[in-house]
Amino acid sequence: MQRIAYFALAALLLPAIGCKANPPSGIETRVVTSAKHHFFVGNKKQKNPLASTPDTIADGKEAFSHYCVACHGMDGQNTGVPFADRMSPPVPSLASRDVQDYSDGQLKWVIDYGIWPSGMPGAKGTLSDDEIWSIVVYLRHLPPAGSLGEPEMYSH
Amino acid sequence: MQKVHAENAPRHIEVTAKRFGFEPAEITLKKGEPVDLILKSTDVSHGLRFRELNVDVKVGKGGTSEVHFTPNLTGTFVGHCSVFCGSGHGSMTLKLHVVD
Repeated sequence: MQRIAYFALAALLLPAIGCKANPPSGIETRVVTSAKHHFFVGNKKQKNPLASTPDTIADGKEAFSHYCVACHGMDGQNTGVPFADRMSPPVPSLASRDVQDYSDGQLKWVIDYGIWPSGMPGAKGTLSDDEIWSIVVYLRHLPPAGSLGEPEMYSH
Repeated sequence: MQKVHAENAPRHIEVTAKRFGFEPAEITLKKGEPVDLILKSTDVSHGLRFRELNVDVKVGKGGTSEVHFTPNLTGTFVGHCSVFCGSGHGSMTLKLHVVD
């Protein structure tokens, strides 16, 4: 009976102790980043079928503005996103080396399937392949941080 | 004269857009034959884009739009909704066959 009481107490305390979200340590970040780049994120060799042109950059910027800006900001660098640095892991700047080091195919894969258990959801089916590839083009040509203002949804 | 006019007249194709599909979902056109494509929405704003054919038409909520074009390539092209319309937007496609 006493054992059951201990288990019940542990179960009650678990959310307070075990589910606390702390920022990842430096070594955690390095290990996970390396694992993502080399093992978990697939599609490394697929080439982007869209050329980088002013039109495809504009297409990507528009598609990005429908689905991605809520977490990544208009500029892909979290400008105006109130919770970006309070998530665990924090929302990365898409201009950062960690993100830009992915191949085009890997960026497509990340947008298609998301990255579990971060907050990055998959967009396959919600956006077309054409739109996702155009977003990959836009990610390679992000504007200067802050130059596009903040997402309209946070302005009201 | 009337016959000549009829031969030169563009072909009219009506497509209805509704979350998350087009009706019909597949059409066949002839290369070089002018087409008036009429896009109708029965719910929210939609669009229809064939990147390879440089065709993009957008239609407002419950509205009708028209685009005139002449397909100059043969093959099968997949058109996508070009106005974000919700969770199934990315799978909203229309298959266009262009034949000689």
